[in-house]
Amino acid sequence: MSNLLSVENLTMKFGGLTAIDDLSFDVKNNQITSIIGPNGAGKTTVFNCLTGFYKPTNGQMFLHKEENKISLRKYTDFKIAYVAKVARTFQNIRLFPAMSVLENLLVAQHNELMVASGYSLFGLLNLKTYRDKEQLAVDKAKYWLDIIGLTHRADDNAGDLPYGDQRKLEIVRAMCIEPRLLCLDEPAAGLNPKESAELNKLLKFIKTEKQTGILLIEHDMSVVMGISDHVVVLNYGKKIFEGTADQTKKSKEVIEAYLGVDE
Amino acid sequence: MEKKDIIQSFKDSLFTGLIALALFGPIVGLRTASKGEGLFITPQWGIVFLLVGLCILGRFLINLNSARKTEITFFSKFTSKFSAITEDKAKHFAITAILFAAVFPFLPFTDRYFMDVAIMILTYIMLGWGLNIVVGLAGLLDLGYVAFYAVGAYSYALIATTFGWSFWICLPLAGVFAAFFGILLGFPVLRLRGDYLAIVTLGFGEIIRIILINWYEVTNGPDGITGIPRPSFFGLPFKRSPDEGETSFHLFFNLEYSTMHRIIFLYYLILVLALITNYFTLKIRKLPVGRAWEALREDEIACKSLGVNPTNTKLTAFAIGAMFGGFAGSFFATRQAFISPESFTFIESAIIVAIVVLGGMGSQTGVVLASIFLIGITEMFRDLEQYRMIAFGGAMVLIMVFKPKGILANRKPTILMHGGKK
Repeated sequence: MSNLLSVENLTMKFGGLTAIDDLSFDVKNNQITSIIGPNGAGKTTVFNCLTGFYKPTNGQMFLHKEENKISLRKYTDFKIAYVAKVARTFQNIRLFPAMSVLENLLVAQHNELMVASGYSLFGLLNLKTYRDKEQLAVDKAKYWLDIIGLTHRADDNAGDLPYGDQRKLEIVRAMCIEPRLLCLDEPAAGLNPKESAELNKLLKFIKTEKQTGILLIEHDMSVVMGISDHVVVLNYGKKIFEGTADQTKKSKEVIEAYLGVDE
Repeated sequence: MEKKDIIQSFKDSLFTGLIALALFGPIVGLRTASKGEGLFITPQWGIVFLLVGLCILGRFLINLNSARKTEITFFSKFTSKFSAITEDKAKHFAITAILFAAVFPFLPFTDRYFMDVAIMILTYIMLGWGLNIVVGLAGLLDLGYVAFYAVGAYSYALIATTFGWSFWICLPLAGVFAAFFGILLGFPVLRLRGDYLAIVTLGFGEIIRIILINWYEVTNGPDGITGIPRPSFFGLPFKRSPDEGETSFHLFFNLEYSTMHRIIFLYYLILVLALITNYFTLKIRKLPVGRAWEALREDEIACKSLGVNPTNTKLTAFAIGAMFGGFAGSFFATRQAFISPESFTFIESAIIVAIVVLGGMGSQTGVVLASIFLIGITEMFRDLEQYRMIAFGGAMVLIMVFKPKGILANRKPTILMHGGKK
């Protein structure tokens, strides 16, 4: 299986604190890679470096596109999603609560729609070419809403949805930008077992049907062990283990990191 | 109602009276009068006791009312009924309002004074709609909106007096200049949000005004610019005796000369300009850029994570909002025929922001109602001079108490999946 993302010697320092220390790992195409570790291990910091919210102190991150290698360090801010097509969700849900579910999914298609609307000119003239493109965008939104079963609530405010539905909506909103790599920050946080199972199904669907690589931070081990093809374990910013889910469960280092060392 | 409650509310009312006494005592009670040499204090305890008594009585009545659990007072009943009407039949309401505005100049009771007030209200409605793009949609609290109004007015005045170009050429130019200043303001404040943004925009408004005062060579400083050309009716000026080789409006249409012609024309001009602003806003709200503005207001970080360019999005909001401010400014200049920095003080910005906020952020109809309410009330009380600001403040307090989110605060989605039916 080919590599999708290579992280090489990533280091992030905040003043005297080293949040990530010389971290290297790979994410493969069509696989779900999980990053786990105790609180404060530096998992979200890795995400923030990958998605351009932080500029790493050192190290490289490459996204592979066929033969080309794109360095993610070159892109900051919105360009990570726009150019490099790396999408992410957030630990504390960040929807647009006062906008409708459908509008949330259309904002994710902003850049294509902006071009289609001739930077608003065609849109103001209400040309057919724009109306058709807008219909396509609505169809795409409907496709994803059908998958998560929220089509009947498309016109309701996103903020009025139940928590579990908001989580799923945030994931499909990220999928609407057609990402190559989808980074999910604790998608199962606050979900009940039934909702977690639905989440697993959704992520497996994205992996197999959409051929999108998924990078996952998660504390819920039922999710991690159930769907991960590959697990990276962090502790104090260092990688302490890397392997399949089963190998991780048996690893001595991982158990020690979570439960402490025997006297 | 129990006896205990009555005693309790009586105590509460007495306490209110105490506060009222502390306030009214020195402010109203001790009147200074100059007699001969020096100032003397004339006490006016009668009025003070009357006011304090009114406060006690009012508080007691409010307490009685809330004890009966009927908190819905006349005002909120009125406004909720009103929002019900406008929400259900928004289209009907809009059409009725536009029709009324269209025939307003020809109604029997309409005189010069009414027309002037109507033009003023329409100017504020247009400014409110323009600012609504920045504050209501993009969520960028701009306390210096009057700067763009000023830029528009001065660009129009300078271009028209220097080159003698017609209103219809100067108007778009003034809009372009104002939009340019909008971008100029936008760049340094891109990273700021909320209170910090408000302070910087406030400063920007003052900077523009101070430049206008001090750049004497160009702006004529505090003396202002006089003799700004009036607009003509598609080439026909509104003059009693036109220049050689010119035909004026009343001669062309064979009418008796009247100054009202020009006023009516100005009225329709601002009505059309305001309606264009409204139409444009309603349209652009449904376009990707409009949705991006609202998304930016909701959550900027989420916007970035979806590849929305926050810089461009904010700058377009500033530029377009400023452009409409500039249009309104040119109208102001051509209507007054005289402008000076005096007209563009912070209080103007504050009134426009108040109109947008009290109308309900992002609500187009709300802006209309708030303009009529705020400007109309201050005009109605014009004869009472300094008391009209009390009326203005009172109107604001009333709206904030009964409608904290603004008169109309319901947002409708810009696009529906299930059509109108649900």
